[in-house]
Amino acid sequence: MSVQAKGVCKRYKSLFGPTKIALKRISLDVEQGEIFGLLGPNGSGKTTLISILSTLIYPEEGSLSILGLNARRDRGEIRKIINICTAKPNFPWSLTIRENLVHYGMLYGLYGSALTRMVDDQIDAFELGEYRDVKFENLSTGLKQRLSLAKAMLNHPRLLFLDEPTTGLDPHMSAKTRKLIKRIHEEEQISVILSTHYMPEAEELCDRIAFLRGGEVAAMDTPQNLKNHLGLGQRVRIRYRGQVDLEAIRRFEGVIGVNGSHWIIGGQMDERAGEGLERRVDILIERKEDCLDGILKSFQDAKILDIDVDEPDLEDVFIELAR
Amino acid sequence: MSWQGELNRYLASAYKNWVITKRNAFTLFELFFWPLVSLLSIGLLTRFLMMDESMVSFLIVGSIALTILQVAQLDVSYVLLFDMWSKSIKNTFIAPVHSWHLIFGSLLFGIMRGSVVFAILASVSFYLFGFKFQTGGLIPPLIFLIGVFAMAAIIGIVVCISILTFGQKADVAAWSLSGLILLFSGIYYPVDVLPAFLQSVSRAIPLTYFLEYYRSVFIPGPHHLIVGLSLAALYLLLGLILFDRAINRARRTGILLRLSE
Repeated sequence: MSVQAKGVCKRYKSLFGPTKIALKRISLDVEQGEIFGLLGPNGSGKTTLISILSTLIYPEEGSLSILGLNARRDRGEIRKIINICTAKPNFPWSLTIRENLVHYGMLYGLYGSALTRMVDDQIDAFELGEYRDVKFENLSTGLKQRLSLAKAMLNHPRLLFLDEPTTGLDPHMSAKTRKLIKRIHEEEQISVILSTHYMPEAEELCDRIAFLRGGEVAAMDTPQNLKNHLGLGQRVRIRYRGQVDLEAIRRFEGVIGVNGSHWIIGGQMDERAGEGLERRVDILIERKEDCLDGILKSFQDAKILDIDVDEPDLEDVFIELAR
Repeated sequence: MSWQGELNRYLASAYKNWVITKRNAFTLFELFFWPLVSLLSIGLLTRFLMMDESMVSFLIVGSIALTILQVAQLDVSYVLLFDMWSKSIKNTFIAPVHSWHLIFGSLLFGIMRGSVVFAILASVSFYLFGFKFQTGGLIPPLIFLIGVFAMAAIIGIVVCISILTFGQKADVAAWSLSGLILLFSGIYYPVDVLPAFLQSVSRAIPLTYFLEYYRSVFIPGPHHLIVGLSLAALYLLLGLILFDRAINRARRTGILLRLSE
Protein backbone atom coordinates (compact mmCIF):
# COMPACT_ATOMS: atom_id res chain seq x y z
CA MET A 1 0.00 0.00 0.00
CA SER A 2 1.39 3.44 -0.91
CA VAL A 3 -0.82 5.50 1.33
CA GLN A 4 -3.06 4.60 4.26
CA ALA A 5 -4.78 7.59 5.82
CA LYS A 6 -7.28 7.27 8.63
CA GLY A 7 -9.29 10.15 10.09
CA VAL A 8 -6.93 12.89 8.91
CA CYS A 9 -8.04 16.34 10.10
CA LYS A 10 -6.53 19.74 9.41
CA ARG A 11 -7.53 23.12 10.77
CA TYR A 12 -5.88 26.44 9.98
CA LYS A 13 -5.93 28.55 13.10
CA SER A 14 -5.91 32.29 12.82
CA LEU A 15 -4.81 34.62 15.59
CA PHE A 16 -7.74 36.99 15.16
CA GLY A 17 -10.05 35.41 12.57
CA PRO A 18 -12.06 32.20 12.75
CA THR A 19 -10.42 28.78 12.56
CA LYS A 20 -10.79 27.26 9.09
CA ILE A 21 -11.43 23.54 8.88
CA ALA A 22 -9.60 22.35 5.78
CA LEU A 23 -9.98 18.58 6.14
CA LYS A 24 -12.54 16.62 8.15
CA ARG A 25 -11.60 13.05 9.02
CA ILE A 26 -10.30 11.98 5.62
CA SER A 27 -9.65 8.27 5.22
CA LEU A 28 -8.29 6.74 2.05
CA ASP A 29 -5.97 4.03 0.76
CA VAL A 30 -3.81 4.25 -2.33
CA GLU A 31 -2.57 1.00 -3.83
CA GLN A 32 1.00 0.42 -4.95
CA GLY A 33 1.47 1.48 -8.59
CA GLU A 34 -1.89 3.23 -8.76
CA ILE A 35 -2.63 6.68 -10.21
CA PHE A 36 -5.02 8.11 -7.68
CA GLY A 37 -6.95 11.28 -8.50
CA LEU A 38 -8.11 13.99 -6.13
CA LEU A 39 -10.94 16.05 -7.57
CA GLY A 40 -13.03 18.79 -6.11
CA PRO A 41 -13.98 22.43 -6.40
CA ASN A 42 -11.69 25.24 -5.24
CA GLY A 43 -11.22 25.17 -1.48
CA SER A 44 -12.30 21.54 -1.16
CA GLY A 45 -8.99 20.59 0.47
CA LYS A 46 -7.05 18.97 -2.41
CA THR A 47 -3.83 20.94 -1.94
CA THR A 48 -4.01 20.60 1.84
CA LEU A 49 -4.45 16.83 1.54
CA ILE A 50 -1.55 16.50 -0.92
CA SER A 51 0.61 18.66 1.35
CA ILE A 52 -0.19 16.42 4.33
CA LEU A 53 0.39 13.18 2.42
CA SER A 54 3.74 14.51 1.21
CA THR A 55 4.69 15.46 4.83
CA LEU A 56 5.04 19.11 3.87
CA ILE A 57 2.53 20.06 6.54
CA TYR A 58 1.26 18.09 9.50
CA PRO A 59 -2.31 17.07 10.36
CA GLU A 60 -3.86 17.69 13.78
CA GLU A 61 -5.46 14.28 14.01
CA GLY A 62 -5.44 10.95 12.28
CA SER A 63 -2.94 8.29 11.39
CA LEU A 64 -0.95 8.23 8.20
CA SER A 65 1.28 5.62 6.66
CA ILE A 66 3.30 6.41 3.54
CA LEU A 67 4.97 3.52 1.70
CA GLY A 68 4.74 1.46 4.86
CA LEU A 69 6.44 4.12 7.00
CA ASN A 70 4.84 5.99 9.86
CA ALA A 71 4.35 9.58 8.67
CA ARG A 72 4.78 10.96 12.18
CA ARG A 73 7.91 9.01 13.14
CA ASP A 74 9.70 8.42 9.84
CA ARG A 75 9.25 11.76 8.06
CA GLY A 76 12.92 12.02 7.11
CA GLU A 77 12.91 8.56 5.49
CA ILE A 78 9.63 9.26 3.69
CA ARG A 79 10.98 12.49 2.17
CA LYS A 80 13.83 10.54 0.58
CA ILE A 81 11.42 8.39 -1.45
CA ILE A 82 8.65 10.81 -2.41
CA ASN A 83 8.57 14.01 -4.44
CA ILE A 84 6.13 16.63 -5.59
CA CYS A 85 5.33 18.73 -8.62
CA THR A 86 3.24 21.73 -7.56
CA ALA A 87 0.44 23.63 -9.27
CA LYS A 88 2.48 26.81 -9.49
CA PRO A 89 6.00 25.70 -10.33
CA ASN A 90 8.26 28.13 -8.54
CA PHE A 91 12.03 27.93 -8.38
CA PRO A 92 14.81 30.42 -7.61
CA TRP A 93 14.45 32.92 -10.45
CA SER A 94 18.03 33.49 -11.50
CA LEU A 95 19.07 29.83 -11.58
CA THR A 96 18.96 28.14 -14.97
CA ILE A 97 17.13 24.87 -15.54
CA ARG A 98 20.37 22.96 -15.09
CA GLU A 99 21.42 24.89 -11.99
CA ASN A 100 18.02 24.37 -10.39
CA LEU A 101 18.21 20.63 -10.99
CA VAL A 102 21.78 20.51 -9.64
CA HIS A 103 20.71 22.44 -6.53
CA TYR A 104 17.75 20.17 -5.76
CA GLY A 105 19.77 17.07 -6.66
CA MET A 106 22.31 18.14 -4.04
CA LEU A 107 19.51 18.57 -1.47
CA TYR A 108 18.59 14.94 -2.16
CA GLY A 109 22.18 13.90 -1.47
CA LEU A 110 23.28 13.26 -5.05
CA TYR A 111 26.93 13.97 -5.80
CA GLY A 112 29.69 13.60 -8.37
CA SER A 113 29.00 11.82 -11.63
CA ALA A 114 25.70 10.41 -10.31
CA LEU A 115 24.42 13.97 -9.85
CA THR A 116 25.59 15.05 -13.31
CA ARG A 117 24.09 11.95 -14.91
CA MET A 118 20.77 12.31 -13.11
CA VAL A 119 20.45 16.00 -14.04
CA ASP A 120 21.32 15.30 -17.69
CA ASP A 121 18.91 12.35 -17.78
CA GLN A 122 16.04 14.50 -16.51
CA ILE A 123 16.90 17.29 -18.96
CA ASP A 124 16.73 14.74 -21.79
CA ALA A 125 13.64 12.96 -20.46
CA PHE A 126 11.63 16.17 -20.24
CA GLU A 127 13.03 17.63 -23.48
CA LEU A 128 14.64 20.58 -21.75
CA GLY A 129 18.03 20.37 -23.48
CA GLU A 130 17.48 23.45 -25.62
CA TYR A 131 16.67 25.52 -22.53
CA ARG A 132 19.10 24.03 -20.02
CA ASP A 133 20.98 27.32 -19.65
CA VAL A 134 17.91 29.56 -19.62
CA LYS A 135 17.12 31.22 -16.30
CA PHE A 136 13.88 30.17 -14.61
CA GLU A 137 12.45 33.69 -14.81
CA ASN A 138 12.70 33.57 -18.62
CA LEU A 139 10.91 30.23 -19.09
CA SER A 140 7.38 29.81 -20.42
CA THR A 141 4.71 28.30 -18.16
CA GLY A 142 4.99 24.97 -19.98
CA LEU A 143 8.75 24.81 -19.54
CA LYS A 144 8.44 25.73 -15.86
CA GLN A 145 6.00 22.84 -15.44
CA ARG A 146 8.39 20.46 -17.19
CA LEU A 147 11.22 21.64 -14.93
CA SER A 148 8.97 20.97 -11.93
CA LEU A 149 8.32 17.43 -13.20
CA ALA A 150 12.03 16.92 -13.86
CA LYS A 151 12.82 18.10 -10.32
CA ALA A 152 10.21 15.70 -8.97
CA MET A 153 12.00 12.76 -10.58
CA LEU A 154 15.52 13.58 -9.32
CA ASN A 155 15.36 11.12 -6.43
CA HIS A 156 13.52 8.36 -8.34
CA PRO A 157 10.51 8.67 -6.02
CA ARG A 158 8.35 5.66 -5.27
CA LEU A 159 5.40 7.95 -4.67
CA LEU A 160 4.91 11.08 -6.75
CA PHE A 161 2.51 13.90 -5.91
CA LEU A 162 1.23 16.02 -8.77
CA ASP A 163 -0.77 19.01 -7.61
CA GLU A 164 -2.72 20.34 -10.60
CA PRO A 165 0.20 19.74 -12.97
CA THR A 166 -1.53 21.14 -16.07
CA THR A 167 -3.00 24.30 -14.56
CA GLY A 168 -2.28 27.29 -16.78
CA LEU A 169 -1.03 25.21 -19.70
CA ASP A 170 -2.48 25.45 -23.19
CA PRO A 171 -4.27 22.33 -24.52
CA HIS A 172 -1.22 21.19 -26.47
CA MET A 173 1.09 21.46 -23.47
CA SER A 174 -1.53 19.85 -21.22
CA ALA A 175 -1.73 16.85 -23.53
CA LYS A 176 2.08 16.66 -23.65
CA THR A 177 2.29 16.83 -19.85
CA ARG A 178 -0.31 14.07 -19.48
CA LYS A 179 1.73 11.94 -21.86
CA LEU A 180 4.82 12.58 -19.73
CA ILE A 181 2.95 11.62 -16.57
CA LYS A 182 1.78 8.38 -18.19
CA ARG A 183 5.31 7.62 -19.32
CA ILE A 184 6.80 8.29 -15.89
CA HIS A 185 4.18 6.08 -14.30
CA GLU A 186 4.79 3.22 -16.70
CA GLU A 187 8.58 3.42 -16.86
CA GLU A 188 9.23 4.01 -13.17
CA GLN A 189 6.34 1.87 -11.92
CA ILE A 190 5.56 4.36 -9.20
CA SER A 191 2.39 5.38 -7.40
CA VAL A 192 1.02 8.78 -8.34
CA ILE A 193 -1.42 11.00 -6.46
CA LEU A 194 -2.77 13.65 -8.77
CA SER A 195 -5.06 16.54 -8.03
CA THR A 196 -6.76 18.25 -10.92
CA HIS A 197 -9.66 20.45 -11.97
CA TYR A 198 -9.77 18.95 -15.43
CA MET A 199 -12.14 16.03 -15.69
CA PRO A 200 -10.79 14.63 -18.97
CA GLU A 201 -7.35 14.55 -17.35
CA ALA A 202 -8.63 12.55 -14.38
CA GLU A 203 -10.59 10.25 -16.64
CA GLU A 204 -7.57 9.66 -18.88
CA LEU A 205 -4.98 9.14 -16.14
CA CYS A 206 -6.55 7.93 -12.92
CA ASP A 207 -7.25 4.37 -11.82
CA ARG A 208 -9.35 5.65 -8.93
CA ILE A 209 -10.66 9.00 -7.86
CA ALA A 210 -11.66 10.64 -4.60
CA PHE A 211 -14.01 13.59 -4.85
CA LEU A 212 -13.42 16.11 -2.11
CA ARG A 213 -16.11 18.55 -1.04
CA GLY A 214 -15.83 20.83 1.97
CA GLY A 215 -12.79 18.93 3.27
CA GLU A 216 -14.51 15.54 3.11
CA VAL A 217 -14.43 12.64 0.70
CA ALA A 218 -17.79 12.84 -1.06
CA ALA A 219 -17.14 9.76 -3.21
CA MET A 220 -14.26 7.45 -4.03
CA ASP A 221 -14.12 4.82 -6.77
CA THR A 222 -12.98 4.15 -10.33
CA PRO A 223 -14.17 6.76 -12.87
CA GLN A 224 -16.52 4.24 -14.46
CA ASN A 225 -18.01 3.08 -11.17
CA LEU A 226 -18.56 6.65 -10.06
CA LYS A 227 -20.56 7.31 -13.20
CA ASN A 228 -22.54 4.09 -12.77
CA HIS A 229 -23.17 4.37 -9.04
CA LEU A 230 -24.31 7.92 -9.15
CA GLY A 231 -27.04 6.98 -11.62
CA LEU A 232 -26.50 10.10 -13.61
CA GLY A 233 -28.73 8.98 -16.45
CA GLN A 234 -27.87 10.27 -19.87
CA ARG A 235 -26.36 13.35 -21.37
CA VAL A 236 -28.22 14.89 -24.30
CA ARG A 237 -26.16 17.26 -26.42
CA ILE A 238 -28.26 19.39 -28.77
CA ARG A 239 -26.92 21.73 -31.45
CA TYR A 240 -29.50 24.23 -32.55
CA ARG A 241 -30.14 27.62 -34.03
CA GLY A 242 -32.62 30.11 -32.57
CA GLN A 243 -34.10 30.89 -29.14
CA VAL A 244 -34.79 28.32 -26.43
CA ASP A 245 -35.84 28.93 -22.82
CA LEU A 246 -33.15 26.95 -20.97
CA GLU A 247 -34.54 27.92 -17.57
CA ALA A 248 -37.81 26.23 -18.48
CA ILE A 249 -35.91 23.09 -19.46
CA ARG A 250 -34.04 23.21 -16.18
CA ARG A 251 -37.40 23.00 -14.37
CA PHE A 252 -38.61 19.91 -16.26
CA GLU A 253 -39.17 16.77 -14.24
CA GLY A 254 -36.33 14.35 -14.92
CA VAL A 255 -33.79 17.04 -15.82
CA ILE A 256 -30.73 16.81 -13.56
CA GLY A 257 -28.77 19.69 -15.01
CA VAL A 258 -28.38 22.03 -17.96
CA ASN A 259 -24.88 23.01 -18.91
CA GLY A 260 -24.40 26.29 -20.73
CA SER A 261 -25.28 27.45 -24.15
CA HIS A 262 -22.49 28.69 -26.33
CA TRP A 263 -22.41 30.29 -29.71
CA ILE A 264 -20.45 28.21 -32.16
CA ILE A 265 -18.54 30.20 -34.75
CA GLY A 266 -16.47 28.40 -37.34
CA GLY A 267 -16.61 25.18 -35.36
CA GLN A 268 -15.19 26.86 -32.22
CA MET A 269 -17.19 27.54 -29.09
CA ASP A 270 -17.64 31.23 -28.60
CA GLU A 271 -19.53 33.13 -25.97
CA ARG A 272 -20.29 36.13 -28.16
CA ALA A 273 -23.98 36.65 -28.81
CA GLY A 274 -25.31 36.65 -32.38
CA GLU A 275 -28.54 35.80 -34.04
CA GLY A 276 -28.58 32.92 -36.46
CA LEU A 277 -25.46 31.27 -35.09
CA GLU A 278 -25.27 27.74 -33.77
CA ARG A 279 -25.65 27.03 -30.08
CA ARG A 280 -24.95 23.95 -28.06
CA VAL A 281 -26.48 22.75 -24.83
CA ASP A 282 -25.76 19.71 -22.65
CA ILE A 283 -28.72 18.45 -20.69
CA LEU A 284 -28.29 15.74 -18.08
CA ILE A 285 -31.51 13.72 -17.77
CA GLU A 286 -32.82 10.76 -15.85
CA ARG A 287 -33.44 7.61 -17.87
CA LYS A 288 -37.12 8.26 -18.46
CA GLU A 289 -38.67 7.75 -21.86
CA ASP A 290 -40.93 10.80 -21.82
CA CYS A 291 -38.27 13.15 -20.47
CA LEU A 292 -36.51 13.67 -23.78
CA ASP A 293 -39.81 14.21 -25.59
CA GLY A 294 -40.71 17.01 -23.22
CA ILE A 295 -37.36 18.68 -23.70
CA LEU A 296 -37.55 18.55 -27.45
CA LYS A 297 -40.90 20.32 -27.37
CA SER A 298 -39.09 23.31 -25.85
CA PHE A 299 -37.10 23.60 -29.07
CA GLN A 300 -40.16 24.25 -31.24
CA ASP A 301 -39.09 27.86 -31.90
CA ALA A 302 -35.57 26.79 -32.76
CA LYS A 303 -34.06 24.66 -35.47
CA ILE A 304 -32.41 21.53 -34.11
CA LEU A 305 -29.28 20.72 -36.11
CA ASP A 306 -28.09 17.67 -34.24
CA ILE A 307 -28.95 15.55 -31.19
CA ASP A 308 -26.47 13.30 -29.50
CA VAL A 309 -27.42 11.07 -26.56
CA ASP A 310 -24.42 9.83 -24.62
CA GLU A 311 -23.26 8.43 -21.28
CA PRO A 312 -22.28 11.15 -18.80
CA ASP A 313 -18.59 11.94 -18.41
CA LEU A 314 -16.62 12.73 -15.28
CA GLU A 315 -17.48 16.39 -15.63
CA ASP A 316 -21.13 15.51 -15.11
CA VAL A 317 -20.15 13.49 -12.06
CA PHE A 318 -18.18 16.48 -10.79
CA ILE A 319 -21.13 18.83 -11.27
CA GLU A 320 -23.43 16.40 -9.51
CA LEU A 321 -21.08 15.87 -6.58
CA ALA A 322 -20.15 19.52 -6.23
CA ARG A 323 -23.82 20.55 -5.95
CA MET B 1 23.76 7.89 2.78
CA SER B 2 27.46 8.30 2.00
CA TRP B 3 29.44 11.18 3.49
CA GLN B 4 29.73 12.79 0.04
CA GLY B 5 25.95 12.80 -0.31
CA GLU B 6 25.53 14.23 3.18
CA LEU B 7 28.18 16.88 2.42
CA ASN B 8 26.32 17.86 -0.75
CA ARG B 9 23.14 18.48 1.22
CA TYR B 10 25.11 21.16 3.09
CA LEU B 11 26.75 22.48 -0.06
CA ALA B 12 23.39 22.79 -1.86
CA SER B 13 22.59 26.06 -0.06
CA ALA B 14 26.09 27.43 -0.67
CA TYR B 15 25.73 26.54 -4.36
CA LYS B 16 22.36 28.29 -4.66
CA ASN B 17 23.63 31.43 -2.89
CA TRP B 18 26.75 31.44 -5.05
CA VAL B 19 24.82 31.23 -8.35
CA ILE B 20 22.31 33.91 -7.32
CA THR B 21 25.06 36.18 -6.01
CA LYS B 22 27.27 35.93 -9.11
CA ARG B 23 24.30 36.91 -11.32
CA ASN B 24 23.42 39.95 -9.23
CA ALA B 25 25.47 43.04 -10.09
CA PHE B 26 24.30 44.70 -6.88
CA THR B 27 26.31 42.11 -4.97
CA LEU B 28 29.24 44.42 -5.67
CA PHE B 29 27.59 46.93 -3.38
CA GLU B 30 27.52 44.36 -0.58
CA LEU B 31 31.10 43.29 -1.20
CA PHE B 32 32.85 46.55 -2.05
CA PHE B 33 30.75 49.68 -1.94
CA TRP B 34 29.18 49.65 1.54
CA PRO B 35 32.18 48.03 3.27
CA LEU B 36 34.54 50.62 1.79
CA VAL B 37 32.19 53.52 2.47
CA SER B 38 31.90 52.38 6.07
CA LEU B 39 35.63 51.86 6.52
CA LEU B 40 36.62 55.13 4.85
CA SER B 41 34.07 57.08 6.90
CA ILE B 42 35.43 55.72 10.16
CA GLY B 43 39.05 55.98 9.03
CA LEU B 44 38.66 59.61 7.97
CA LEU B 45 36.85 60.39 11.22
CA THR B 46 39.88 59.12 13.15
CA ARG B 47 42.07 61.45 11.05
CA PHE B 48 39.79 64.40 11.74
CA LEU B 49 39.80 63.69 15.47
CA MET B 50 43.59 63.14 15.32
CA MET B 51 43.33 59.82 17.17
CA ASP B 52 46.38 57.82 18.13
CA GLU B 53 47.19 54.44 16.61
CA SER B 54 45.48 52.41 19.31
CA MET B 55 42.20 54.33 18.98
CA VAL B 56 42.36 54.05 15.20
CA SER B 57 42.70 50.27 15.60
CA PHE B 58 39.81 50.23 18.08
CA LEU B 59 37.41 51.89 15.65
CA ILE B 60 38.61 50.07 12.54
CA VAL B 61 38.23 46.68 14.26
CA GLY B 62 34.65 47.68 15.05
CA SER B 63 33.98 48.82 11.51
CA ILE B 64 35.41 45.62 10.02
CA ALA B 65 33.46 43.46 12.48
CA LEU B 66 30.15 45.15 11.68
CA THR B 67 30.69 44.96 7.93
CA ILE B 68 31.66 41.28 7.88
CA LEU B 69 28.82 40.48 10.25
CA GLN B 70 26.31 42.15 7.94
CA VAL B 71 27.61 40.39 4.83
CA ALA B 72 27.79 36.91 6.38
CA GLN B 73 24.48 37.10 8.28
CA LEU B 74 22.74 38.13 5.05
CA ASP B 75 24.08 35.00 3.37
CA VAL B 76 22.65 32.84 6.14
CA SER B 77 19.33 34.71 5.98
CA TYR B 78 19.28 34.40 2.18
CA VAL B 79 18.91 30.63 2.52
CA LEU B 80 15.22 31.19 3.26
CA LEU B 81 14.82 34.69 1.85
CA PHE B 82 15.65 33.58 -1.71
CA ASP B 83 13.16 30.70 -1.37
CA MET B 84 10.53 32.98 0.10
CA TRP B 85 10.93 35.66 -2.57
CA SER B 86 10.77 33.10 -5.37
CA LYS B 87 7.95 31.21 -3.58
CA SER B 88 9.89 27.97 -3.88
CA ILE B 89 10.06 27.20 -0.17
CA LYS B 90 7.88 24.08 -0.69
CA ASN B 91 10.55 22.52 -2.88
CA THR B 92 13.19 22.94 -0.18
CA PHE B 93 11.13 21.51 2.66
CA ILE B 94 9.77 18.55 0.70
CA ALA B 95 13.41 17.41 0.43
CA PRO B 96 15.06 15.45 3.27
CA VAL B 97 16.94 18.42 4.72
CA HIS B 98 17.38 19.60 8.29
CA SER B 99 17.98 23.03 9.77
CA TRP B 100 21.73 22.39 10.08
CA HIS B 101 22.08 21.58 6.34
CA LEU B 102 20.55 24.94 5.44
CA ILE B 103 22.36 27.02 8.05
CA PHE B 104 25.86 25.59 7.75
CA GLY B 105 25.67 25.40 3.95
CA SER B 106 24.73 29.05 3.62
CA LEU B 107 27.16 30.01 6.38
CA LEU B 108 29.95 28.43 4.35
CA PHE B 109 29.23 30.84 1.52
CA GLY B 110 28.92 33.68 4.06
CA ILE B 111 32.37 32.80 5.38
CA MET B 112 33.77 32.92 1.84
CA ARG B 113 32.21 36.31 1.12
CA GLY B 114 33.08 37.61 4.58
CA SER B 115 36.70 36.53 4.12
CA VAL B 116 36.91 38.39 0.81
CA VAL B 117 35.51 41.52 2.49
CA PHE B 118 37.97 41.11 5.37
CA ALA B 119 40.89 40.84 2.96
CA ILE B 120 39.78 43.99 1.13
CA LEU B 121 39.16 45.99 4.30
CA ALA B 122 42.37 44.82 5.99
CA SER B 123 44.41 45.83 2.92
CA VAL B 124 42.73 49.21 2.48
CA SER B 125 42.94 50.05 6.19
CA PHE B 126 46.64 49.15 6.22
CA TYR B 127 47.51 51.36 3.24
CA LEU B 128 45.31 54.30 4.21
CA PHE B 129 45.25 54.25 8.00
CA GLY B 130 48.22 52.10 9.02
CA PHE B 131 46.04 49.40 10.66
CA LYS B 132 47.95 46.12 10.90
CA PHE B 133 45.45 43.30 11.33
CA GLN B 134 48.17 40.69 11.94
CA THR B 135 49.61 42.48 14.98
CA GLY B 136 49.99 39.69 17.54
CA GLY B 137 50.12 37.00 14.85
CA LEU B 138 47.45 35.32 12.76
CA ILE B 139 45.65 33.55 15.59
CA PRO B 140 43.90 36.66 17.03
CA PRO B 141 42.31 37.76 13.71
CA LEU B 142 41.38 34.13 13.01
CA ILE B 143 39.59 33.75 16.36
CA PHE B 144 38.01 37.17 15.86
CA LEU B 145 36.68 36.08 12.46
CA ILE B 146 35.36 32.81 13.92
CA GLY B 147 33.46 34.87 16.49
CA VAL B 148 32.04 37.24 13.87
CA PHE B 149 30.94 34.33 11.64
CA ALA B 150 29.36 32.51 14.59
CA MET B 151 27.47 35.70 15.42
CA ALA B 152 26.42 35.97 11.75
CA ALA B 153 25.04 32.43 11.90
CA ILE B 154 23.11 33.23 15.08
CA ILE B 155 21.54 36.36 13.56
CA GLY B 156 20.79 34.47 10.33
CA ILE B 157 19.02 31.76 12.32
CA VAL B 158 16.93 34.38 14.13
CA VAL B 159 15.93 35.86 10.75
CA CYS B 160 14.98 32.41 9.42
CA ILE B 161 12.93 31.68 12.54
CA SER B 162 11.19 35.06 12.15
CA ILE B 163 10.30 34.29 8.53
CA LEU B 164 8.83 30.91 9.43
CA THR B 165 6.93 32.38 12.36
CA PHE B 166 5.69 35.72 11.04
CA GLY B 167 5.80 35.19 7.27
CA GLN B 168 6.95 37.51 4.51
CA LYS B 169 6.91 40.73 6.51
CA ALA B 170 9.69 39.39 8.72
CA ASP B 171 12.31 39.83 5.99
CA VAL B 172 12.99 43.30 7.38
CA ALA B 173 14.68 41.51 10.30
CA ALA B 174 17.51 40.57 7.93
CA TRP B 175 18.60 44.19 7.75
CA SER B 176 17.60 45.32 11.23
CA LEU B 177 19.09 42.85 13.68
CA SER B 178 22.71 43.79 13.00
CA GLY B 179 21.68 47.34 14.02
CA LEU B 180 21.02 46.05 17.53
CA ILE B 181 24.48 44.52 17.56
CA LEU B 182 25.89 47.92 16.57
CA LEU B 183 24.22 49.40 19.62
CA PHE B 184 24.94 46.73 22.21
CA SER B 185 28.21 45.01 21.25
CA GLY B 186 30.51 47.98 21.52
CA ILE B 187 31.29 48.28 17.84
CA TYR B 188 32.43 51.90 18.12
CA TYR B 189 32.75 52.28 21.90
CA PRO B 190 33.58 50.10 24.91
CA VAL B 191 30.44 48.61 26.43
CA ASP B 192 31.41 50.21 29.77
CA VAL B 193 29.97 53.49 28.53
CA LEU B 194 26.49 51.95 28.24
CA PRO B 195 24.01 52.30 31.14
CA ALA B 196 24.30 49.40 33.58
CA PHE B 197 21.14 47.59 32.48
CA LEU B 198 22.25 47.74 28.82
CA GLN B 199 25.69 46.42 29.77
CA SER B 200 24.04 43.18 30.88
CA VAL B 201 22.52 42.89 27.40
CA SER B 202 25.98 43.47 25.91
CA ARG B 203 27.42 40.75 28.11
CA ALA B 204 24.89 38.31 26.70
CA ILE B 205 26.10 38.92 23.13
CA PRO B 206 29.11 36.78 22.09
CA LEU B 207 30.47 39.39 19.69
CA THR B 208 31.17 41.73 22.62
CA TYR B 209 33.79 39.25 23.89
CA PHE B 210 35.39 38.62 20.50
CA LEU B 211 35.74 42.38 19.95
CA GLU B 212 37.33 42.79 23.37
CA TYR B 213 39.69 39.91 22.65
CA TYR B 214 40.88 41.21 19.29
CA ARG B 215 41.17 44.79 20.55
CA SER B 216 43.27 43.60 23.47
CA VAL B 217 45.98 42.90 20.90
CA PHE B 218 46.10 46.63 20.06
CA ILE B 219 45.13 48.08 23.43
CA PRO B 220 46.23 45.64 26.14
CA GLY B 221 43.42 44.90 28.57
CA PRO B 222 41.34 42.06 30.03
CA HIS B 223 39.11 39.88 27.88
CA HIS B 224 36.86 36.86 28.43
CA LEU B 225 37.24 34.94 25.21
CA ILE B 226 36.10 31.67 26.80
CA VAL B 227 32.78 33.25 27.74
CA GLY B 228 32.36 34.49 24.17
CA LEU B 229 33.16 31.08 22.71
CA SER B 230 30.83 29.33 25.16
CA LEU B 231 27.98 31.76 24.50
CA ALA B 232 28.43 31.44 20.72
CA ALA B 233 28.36 27.63 20.91
CA LEU B 234 25.33 27.69 23.22
CA TYR B 235 23.38 30.14 21.03
CA LEU B 236 24.23 28.19 17.86
CA LEU B 237 22.97 24.96 19.39
CA LEU B 238 19.89 26.66 20.82
CA GLY B 239 19.31 28.44 17.50
CA LEU B 240 19.38 25.19 15.53
CA ILE B 241 16.95 23.56 17.97
CA LEU B 242 14.61 26.55 17.77
CA PHE B 243 14.93 26.69 13.98
CA ASP B 244 13.91 23.03 13.80
CA ARG B 245 10.96 23.81 16.06
CA ALA B 246 10.03 26.79 13.88
CA ILE B 247 10.08 24.50 10.81
CA ASN B 248 7.82 22.02 12.59
CA ARG B 249 5.51 24.81 13.72
CA ALA B 250 5.36 26.18 10.15
CA ARG B 251 4.39 22.70 8.99
CA ARG B 252 1.66 22.52 11.65
CA THR B 253 0.24 26.00 11.02
CA GLY B 254 0.50 25.68 7.25
CA ILE B 255 2.67 28.81 6.94
CA LEU B 256 4.98 26.80 4.68
CA LEU B 257 2.13 26.62 2.17
CA ARG B 258 1.31 30.32 2.49
CA LEU B 259 4.97 31.24 1.88
CA SER B 260 4.80 29.29 -1.39
CA GLU B 261 1.67 31.01 -2.73
